[in-house]
Amino acid sequence: MSLDFLAGFTIFMLALIMVVSMVPGLLAGLESSGIDYDAVAYRTGVILVEDPGWPVYPPWEMNDLAHKGEIERIGLAVSKETPNILLSTKVKKFFEEGFFDQSDYRNKAIFGDIPYSYNISLNISHPDGSYELKRTGDPLPPGYGYIRRVVKIKEPAVAVIGSDSRYNDTTLNSSILRTFTVQLNFNELLDPERGPAYRIDPRTEPVNVTITDFGAYLPANDEATLQSVTFWKMDPTRPIPQFTRIPFSYDTEDSDLYILLLDEESCNLKPEKEVANTISLVLKPAATSLFTLDQNSILDIRFVFDDSPDPQRTTLNGTYLYDYDNVPLSPLKPGVLEVAIW
Amino acid sequence: MVNDSGQLYTMEGVAAGVIMLLTAYIVISTTSIYTPGDTHIPDMQLEQLGSDVLAMMDTPDREGGTSQLVGFVKNGTETCGGNDLRNEFLTNCKMRAGDEDTKLRAQVYLSYRRTDGTVNTTPLSLPDPEFTGRENAVRVTRWVQLDGILPGIPDIEHSSRPRAVLVEVLLWRA
Repeated sequence: MSLDFLAGFTIFMLALIMVVSMVPGLLAGLESSGIDYDAVAYRTGVILVEDPGWPVYPPWEMNDLAHKGEIERIGLAVSKETPNILLSTKVKKFFEEGFFDQSDYRNKAIFGDIPYSYNISLNISHPDGSYELKRTGDPLPPGYGYIRRVVKIKEPAVAVIGSDSRYNDTTLNSSILRTFTVQLNFNELLDPERGPAYRIDPRTEPVNVTITDFGAYLPANDEATLQSVTFWKMDPTRPIPQFTRIPFSYDTEDSDLYILLLDEESCNLKPEKEVANTISLVLKPAATSLFTLDQNSILDIRFVFDDSPDPQRTTLNGTYLYDYDNVPLSPLKPGVLEVAIW
Repeated sequence: MVNDSGQLYTMEGVAAGVIMLLTAYIVISTTSIYTPGDTHIPDMQLEQLGSDVLAMMDTPDREGGTSQLVGFVKNGTETCGGNDLRNEFLTNCKMRAGDEDTKLRAQVYLSYRRTDGTVNTTPLSLPDPEFTGRENAVRVTRWVQLDGILPGIPDIEHSSRPRAVLVEVLLWRA
């Protein structure tokens, strides 16, 4: 073997080694930092928009600050059958300031070992043309992963009771107590024939009752005394079904469980107060879950008016059925959910 | 033993080395390599957005109501149904937290079975004047169920049963 051949071969081998050593650098160019972030943003978007979260019953949004740890996954969908239709109570809880912290968003919605930064926003379009923007997270830097999901938001139904002759009982003896009952038949409300997006579900959404024109039920007076608001339940599947009073802390005001407003003034469920114009009750799902109701139960909300020993002053009496005929469902509101991850 | 033929080996070695190094240098210094993994991301985002919007437009706001999408498709090509559909579709697509995403454009097509049994595909919205056909557009589709008489859709099969038509939207960023 000649010396020249050896020299040529050595130069060739040296060059080959250099080129081979460049190969990892060649592959490095194929890496893209955007791919991961976009994928994480997409995954987070899917969890938020297409999943109701966990636990489902009782729903995660009913947990208070002390029981936040029981929430395993945050999802905003009404149910797993209705992707892109979000429940307003879940949305409210998700964006509630001071409830979830950064680690909660990371561990229960974004997932993954890396502590990603995030910015999640929901822009809700109202029928009057205005927008409501909800947002959580940090300001956006350049080069973040992104997904935008178009959604609709389901709002709770509101029973507005105005002047109605069906509940204006002028024939009653003036000594008899006036009882106005709002009745919820769960069997009818939770009818599986009806899609979850158009269902009144007191287990997940607040029950709203507003008597707007109480003055119409005061024929000769300006005010009447609301003695109490009580909850009763009945299970029609039992042999002798009858209503039983639900034990509840009626004299403790708790805005996490209910809000009772008499002429815009907040009070507990044993107000014994005079009211002239409006009565509004919002019974929250956290309270309904304490009543141990199932899908056959009938829940009565009884407003008792008592002015004794004076003659009764109001003529409001009877039973209002909280059902799909009487309570109009709010139309679904369009919105857009954006997830940015970096 | 050194002679002229021996030097050729050295020169070959040098030449081969220089060629290899040059090739490697040119390949590495080529500007960012756009992999298939990257290209699909904006497409996927647009596709997801488009199919979300079609799904939401096909969701009635009230139980038993008619969805927006069905209303627009029923109006068909004769009145402004298709253009209204495109405008509403784009309004939904453009909505975001800050300013509107104004660069989005769309074109709507409708496919249905005609009286003679053939399938007809017709543009439902007026053509976009800026559309060249070379845009990197994504295609999103949704089957829509229609009842009753549909005078807005030319020559559609008459039937007492509900008919399914295919709404197809081309969506791109200008």
